[in-house]
Amino acid sequence: MSEGREARLLVLGWNFRGASGPVRDRVAFTSEEVREGLRRLLGRGLVSESVIVSTCHRSEIYGVAEGNGVGEELTRFISDWRGLERDVLEKAAFRRSGAEAARHLFRVAAGLDSMALGESEVLGQVRQALSIARETGSSRAVLHRLFESAVRAGKRVRTETEIGVHPLSIASIAVELANKVFGELSEQTVLLLGAGETGTLFARHVLEAGVRHLKIANRTPEHAEHLAARVGALPVAWESVKRELPSADVVVGTTASPEPVVLRADVEAAMRQRKGRPMFFLDLAMPPDIEPEVRGIYNVFAYDLDGLEDVAAENRRRRVREVPRVEEILEEELGRFLAWFGNLSVIPTVTDLKHRFEEIRDRELERFAPGDRERLRPLADSIVAKLLHEPMRRLKNETDAARKLERLEAVRHLFDLDRD
Amino acid sequence: MHWFGWIAVALYAAAEALAVRSLFRSKGLGAAPALVAAGLVAQFADLELVGRSLGSVPYRTLGGSIALFAWMLGLAYLALVLRHRERAIGPFLIPFVLAFSVLGIVLPSHAPAGPATRGSLFAFHVTLAILADAAFALSFVLSLLYLIQNRQIRRGRTGVLFSRLPALEVIGRMNRTSVTIGIVVLAVSVALGVAWARRVWSGFTDAKLVWALLTLFVYGVMLWMDRRGWEGPRVALLSIFGFLLVLFSYTFVNLYLSQAHVFR
Repeated sequence: MSEGREARLLVLGWNFRGASGPVRDRVAFTSEEVREGLRRLLGRGLVSESVIVSTCHRSEIYGVAEGNGVGEELTRFISDWRGLERDVLEKAAFRRSGAEAARHLFRVAAGLDSMALGESEVLGQVRQALSIARETGSSRAVLHRLFESAVRAGKRVRTETEIGVHPLSIASIAVELANKVFGELSEQTVLLLGAGETGTLFARHVLEAGVRHLKIANRTPEHAEHLAARVGALPVAWESVKRELPSADVVVGTTASPEPVVLRADVEAAMRQRKGRPMFFLDLAMPPDIEPEVRGIYNVFAYDLDGLEDVAAENRRRRVREVPRVEEILEEELGRFLAWFGNLSVIPTVTDLKHRFEEIRDRELERFAPGDRERLRPLADSIVAKLLHEPMRRLKNETDAARKLERLEAVRHLFDLDRD
Repeated sequence: MHWFGWIAVALYAAAEALAVRSLFRSKGLGAAPALVAAGLVAQFADLELVGRSLGSVPYRTLGGSIALFAWMLGLAYLALVLRHRERAIGPFLIPFVLAFSVLGIVLPSHAPAGPATRGSLFAFHVTLAILADAAFALSFVLSLLYLIQNRQIRRGRTGVLFSRLPALEVIGRMNRTSVTIGIVVLAVSVALGVAWARRVWSGFTDAKLVWALLTLFVYGVMLWMDRRGWEGPRVALLSIFGFLLVLFSYTFVNLYLSQAHVFR
């Protein structure tokens, strides 16, 4: 048996766990570089198929290869191409092969391998990697199936578990909470107090979340005007914050002010003018910008940094609790893929084919008298062996995985090997 | 008897199972609305048969009126789902449809129709009263959802229920709509009822009428306060209180306080 010629899956990669930032930067590829890399890899004949997944936290090269030692060859290829010491690359890399390589991709697609556990962006990146490889012609039967299976598993994880449900960052928690109060946050007016670092970050975040009416107030008006101009918001005078309250649905405090900027009495007055329409306060400042007593006012929702950090921690725990269920789904989908991939192995098909031929031989021999049967048996055996010899040899020596798969399927179909 | 009624009950039960499942599973509305629609058809057939055997409107009786109530509630659910694409209310609303459908079948429904209970004025009066009650029941469920979601938001519980339930603003809007419909319809029903009672009984006051006016008052206060600073949990609580009045009218008032003016 020529086991060494069987197609093998492998992955070589650098991610945030094993590789430092500088190394990751060197092996991070733009989509143009991914195309070039795929073409080079196939050109060198190192692998018969390849897909490269490159995101900010990881660069991974998936391949189908025959024979051993391909991992080292791949490292050498990357070190030549990116001009990096092979030792450095080797030490920072991780390598998996066979079922472990497939399992790794499934975990990546489900967000289990991400820094933010369960994040969904990576699923799109996996899909993107496959489509680039398909355009380049570097993915064929095996990797195509592998990536499609991983994407399907990732989608199932999203719909069947809660791993992606609970938001993790303070800003996204705040936006989700406000969304559930007002429905469409884009229609609401957000008043941002403070144009410093936190204020700038938050302004970006709410604008990305679709907010269209953003007002910015800062003790130093130039800063508010500057930030407002940069992000496309409306600057308001610091002195008029109290007057702005009734028209603000969401108020976010990010100033360094030693005393609260928004007092309970201000909010009570604003709520009267708003005729009870809810208000949403988010205090990211330390010490607080918004008097904590605001919380007690009817239909006012108020959160501070501590509270939201608790929510974030709780949400992280909830995501972790979902991991076993996620893994169950992944194993189920992985099992399906591996069963298909296992069919790529020649041995089961050859064994089945042999059995089928022997069955026919035995059935035909039954028709003869026992004495004749014994005399005819050597002849029948020899015919079966001769008929099987050439097809078996050819199947075993086929090196192209896609073609091999087609032929194996053809044999199984023509001789009805999947009958039982 | 009531073959179609039981088929409807089975369909509603299946719809509830699917609705609960779809809350936690895949996207889209799922098959629950279709099952409810099929249940409505079956239940309509049941009401039709009952009406023919009575030679009157089917809701002359207590069972019939409750069955019609369930039917209208199912219709309201369907309208809400199709209009707002809001599947989260299904699991909470369909149990009411289911429970009242069962009650509608098992409660007595063999009152012979006297001459007083014929005619289109009477039919409109009863139908509208039941429609109003269905609208109030819907508001009751929406108010419960409002309180649940309000609590989730305040506690920062951003789980599945949080993400599936609509925003407070949306629930509040749906609630306003259904209460407005309920008030208008109940007011018309009361007016028709009074006109009909004058013709048949020549002058009458009764506990049920008083109760209906009280219900109108409570829901009127709710709508008014909604714009006067009570928007939020207080309005939801008022709506729940209003529905308790409706239930009380259906049970206690119907059985003990009112004499001629009852579903038997």
